[in-house]
Amino acid sequence: MKRYPWKRLAALAMSLALAASLLAGCGGGEGEKPSAQPSGGGEQQGETPSGGAQLGGELNLYTWDGMFPQEILDGFEKETGIRVRYSNFDYDEDMLAKLEETKGADYDLVIADDYIIELAVAEGLVQKLDTSKMENYGNLNPVFMSQFFDPQNEYTVPYGAGIPMLVYDPALTDLEITGYADLWDASLKDNIALTANYRVINGIALKVMGESYNTTDLDVIRAAGEKMLELAPNVRLINDSNTQDALISGEAAVAFLYTSQVYMALTARPDLKTVLPKEGLGFGIMAGFIPSQAPNAEAAYAFLDYINQPENAAKCFEFLGYYCTNKAAEEHISGEMQDLLVLPEDAAAGEIVQNISQEAEDLHAEIWNQFRSACG
Amino acid sequence: MKQKKWPFVYVGLVTAVTYIPILLTVVYSFNESKISSVWGGFSLKWYGELFRDRDLREALVNSLILAGLTCLCAVVIGTMGAVGMHRKKTRLGDAMATASMLPIMIPEIILGMVFLSVFSLMDLPFGMLTLVIAHTAFSIPYVYSMVSTRLVGMDRSLEEAALDLGAPPFRVFWDVTFPAILPGILSGVMLAFAMSFDDVVISIFVTGPAVNTLPVKIYTKLKTGVTPEINALATVILAVTVLLLALSAVIGRWRHPAERPGADR
Amino acid sequence: MKLQGGKKDRSRWLLLAPMYVFTVLFVIGPILYMFLLSFLQRAEVWGVDFSFTLDNYKRILEPLYLKTFKESFQLAFLSTALVILIGYPYGYFMARMSAAWKKRMMLLIMVPFWTSALIRLYGWIIVFRSNGTLDQVLMGLHITGGPLKLLYTYPAVVVGMIYALLPFMILAVYSSAEKLDWSLVEASRDLGASSWKAFWTVSFPLTLPGLLSGVVLTFIPSMGLFFVADLLGGNKIVLVGSVIQEQLTKGRNQPFAAALSAVLMILTTLMIRLYRSVTGTNKLEGLM
Repeated sequence: MKRYPWKRLAALAMSLALAASLLAGCGGGEGEKPSAQPSGGGEQQGETPSGGAQLGGELNLYTWDGMFPQEILDGFEKETGIRVRYSNFDYDEDMLAKLEETKGADYDLVIADDYIIELAVAEGLVQKLDTSKMENYGNLNPVFMSQFFDPQNEYTVPYGAGIPMLVYDPALTDLEITGYADLWDASLKDNIALTANYRVINGIALKVMGESYNTTDLDVIRAAGEKMLELAPNVRLINDSNTQDALISGEAAVAFLYTSQVYMALTARPDLKTVLPKEGLGFGIMAGFIPSQAPNAEAAYAFLDYINQPENAAKCFEFLGYYCTNKAAEEHISGEMQDLLVLPEDAAAGEIVQNISQEAEDLHAEIWNQFRSACG
Repeated sequence: MKQKKWPFVYVGLVTAVTYIPILLTVVYSFNESKISSVWGGFSLKWYGELFRDRDLREALVNSLILAGLTCLCAVVIGTMGAVGMHRKKTRLGDAMATASMLPIMIPEIILGMVFLSVFSLMDLPFGMLTLVIAHTAFSIPYVYSMVSTRLVGMDRSLEEAALDLGAPPFRVFWDVTFPAILPGILSGVMLAFAMSFDDVVISIFVTGPAVNTLPVKIYTKLKTGVTPEINALATVILAVTVLLLALSAVIGRWRHPAERPGADR
Repeated sequence: MKLQGGKKDRSRWLLLAPMYVFTVLFVIGPILYMFLLSFLQRAEVWGVDFSFTLDNYKRILEPLYLKTFKESFQLAFLSTALVILIGYPYGYFMARMSAAWKKRMMLLIMVPFWTSALIRLYGWIIVFRSNGTLDQVLMGLHITGGPLKLLYTYPAVVVGMIYALLPFMILAVYSSAEKLDWSLVEASRDLGASSWKAFWTVSFPLTLPGLLSGVVLTFIPSMGLFFVADLLGGNKIVLVGSVIQEQLTKGRNQPFAAALSAVLMILTTLMIRLYRSVTGTNKLEGLM
């Protein structure tokens, strides 16, 4: 084998690679300093953005993937000239970790779950909102406001609410399901799909026992754990994302789904039946807040205002699949989606899962893991 | 020894099985229906969506740059380390080698969390820099172990002969050691590239607001809904990779006409 | 080596410096921090209180967590054993191929690994799910009457694990087998040994370093790899990695997660050392 040309080629390749990556690294390095503000447009004080004023600059948006249709993001960029930098996190706690480490800097607008916002506020990572900067603030549905994590509405703007529900395939089971208790039925062996939020799932047992989601009584929680072990043989899979696929493909006959998953399931299989469990409903809200050291808070206000314009909000919720939190947008939601996206007035009496004592939380985690092993 | 058939059969079979999920991924990228369990007919619409997705394209570029830089750093540091360690076995050397393997022994999530804390302690800006450091940390073990394995069985007398003949140490390395360990380096590079290009958990923790990497983007997209757009992306990456490799093979054959199949053994 | 002492040492230190510095700063540092964390207490809302406690380690001794470790080891052992069975012959045969075929095989193995592992695992879901590819093939051939319901079972998880870990073993074995001096094997054949004996007494011992690094590169990640079990097992198998993730996220308990990780790391190191002494490969330079 001729070694000599081999070596030359390798040397050439390596030097090219080195040069190329150094150049690319310099280019990519511009992304490195997150707190350095590149744009001048963000410093305008007190200007209401919704007059179509071109602000320029950047919005550092931090939330789950798939929260806004591309059309809304593009529309916002065109109207305000603000470029949207969309970063994702997977778990609320990852977001909190990031915010803790950066002390509330780097991101302008964060959209997350209710319970984590309570913690973020307690840690001083959230700045108070100046609601006068949002013309469309009045469009928000008061039903979703003044909740446990922001009782005075000082910090957050709601964006989407959910009620997890049971959905089942009448072709695969003869049961008439009316509530959580039916899940324990022996005919459902190896036939149930569950989401993976342990407070909510353990909560199923608590509800069947007539207890609150947020009880801190350790004995009650332990009893719920025992009840869950009885449910274990019926569980086919536990999956926090795309749980609805199991229903759609016939892998499971019954599923406990988040609102957006219910939306996707029913759109794909209109023959599925939904159940609002008679033992009581769970309830969760997502909301946006501005971190305490946000580099471009004005951009955040502009964005919040933009997405709360009635037609824009309607488009957002039709994309997102969660309950519409903007009252003025309700009439803009298309007919067939009204049932799925607009919350009936009486249903809002659900119980929200809130933060509880550390001991109770730890016990929940333990009974959850015992439950999981029992399923396998 | 006669060339028996059955080794090829075995290898072929295993390879075929490894390619099944990939084949399915490619096939389903043409699925008209959004849901993977239903075949809705042949469609190219997901490729259209893919090309319109600016975020995804940016993420792809970021990941390529990141993987390239990581490979470079890992190869340089890891190879030099392996060669140096091989020259003389010391207790410190042993300890360092073991220590460098640790990143692959800890679940990624805790490594990610720990990097997050340590990097902010060092006041490093979160972005490409922190990503490269973190990725290099878990790539070095692969390069190091692949190169070490090659070095272990290597015939020292070749090196010694070269030295006796008066060659300076650098030339000894370049002309004798390097070609011998090259397969190890290449294996290490390929693994490092694959690990970096695929890393989700650690990247989530140490990335900055402006730098989205492809695997993180894919992961978050998968969580919200498996659309065939992801399959289309995978197919495109596959196609590009195959194309590049085919190209390099053609160039290689053009430069080394002696290496026709069966010429060497 | 016959170099003058000073020159040799200098060049050696030059080679080692980058690795040493990097390792101390970015590997040992963070890991020491992890150990530090494991002795602290978690704070009320977020983060840690700097108060020393052994509680985290005591908690690991509870039956729930011991069981979790056992499950993880079981899965890791099983996966590694199967990966050796499948991967070793593959790597060995690959090393015996012609130069052109070697290159092709190398690419064939690595190309899939540049597409996202997650996406490829979803590919296995398509295979295993009810009325998925496997079911359709088996039912089409009239081997089975109805869907096998293989998805979300332990075998499905094992297949996924093997799939994810195989290339490491293959490459490691190949790397070692490739530089094997085949003339030694030929010599032993000439002396009358059967193919099998030649392999067992000549080839196998010489490829042992490759096998060892393959085992290390397979077993270690398999202890922490929990997303395969989550995806293909329906989250029903509780592994250490997923408990750690849970503690870091929903549990907001960094110290406990750190303690679990520390124990995982120590146990895994012990396993590897045990393996080394049992197979007599202590002489392996620089590799654990």
